[in-house]
Amino acid sequence: MAIKGGGFEKSSKASSEVPSSSLADIAFLLLIFFMVTTVFQADRDRPIEWPEAEAAEKIDEKQKNILNIWMERDGTIFINDQPYPMEDVSQIVAPLYADSERALVISIRGDREVPYRYMDLLQQELVAAGVVRVVFAAQLEQSMQRERR
Amino acid sequence: MAVLNNKKSKVSDEVPTSSMADIAFLLLIFFLVTTTFPKDKGLGVVLPEPGEEAQVSQKNILHLIIQPNGIVDVKRGESTQIQQMRPREIEGLWRQEVTANPNLIAAVKTHPDASYKFMMDVLDALHSANAERISLQILEN
Repeated sequence: MAIKGGGFEKSSKASSEVPSSSLADIAFLLLIFFMVTTVFQADRDRPIEWPEAEAAEKIDEKQKNILNIWMERDGTIFINDQPYPMEDVSQIVAPLYADSERALVISIRGDREVPYRYMDLLQQELVAAGVVRVVFAAQLEQSMQRERR
Repeated sequence: MAVLNNKKSKVSDEVPTSSMADIAFLLLIFFLVTTTFPKDKGLGVVLPEPGEEAQVSQKNILHLIIQPNGIVDVKRGESTQIQQMRPREIEGLWRQEVTANPNLIAAVKTHPDASYKFMMDVLDALHSANAERISLQILEN
């Protein structure tokens, strides 16, 4: 009887490969973990018509440090799904701003048709609350739709 | 020979499931990549601190007065000459003006009855022209 392998037989029957059959399961668990721990903004979208801007840029701040202030066409203010009168905005925003260690960014989500007088009042409220960084939220306007000079 | 017990074919009668995880992964990655959150864009501005007031010489101010119909009245500093423009013409204007005077400040004054979108159009034009010194005000009579 010929000796297989020229006489060199494996001394152990344990596989020399890393077991990879459960790799997919581990990856799935990781994915599910991150999906569950990801926190999205808590408030629901208000029905507004977005203004458009060509130079709109992504807000460079963590999601948890962005506070959305919605302004509907008639000038009503919504913060975290709650309507608030204009005079109360600075009192609501100021503690949130202090909690975030002055990192809070206000995203003003105004309807495109809202008269500017309400926008100005809102800006005054935000100045009174000491907020510095404000973003006028807009949809990105495609350059193709615009006539170019 | 136990012929009757032998399988006639060696082809498995089960659906192969070994690549199911790969397919699921590909689907997941596809949806992860194609999902967009489109509303998180905007034009950033920096508001002044409370009580902060800067004295600026009139010759460094470009007044952009937005009328309720969206027409922009452009007024340079102290001159009383008014030039009427559409918002999208502001970008070229700003580029011209700022090369002549690098200290220029854009004072955007919006009429209380003008729509927010007209102010956004002007702000957009200023951002497109890389303007950094912008002041947002309401038009007072």
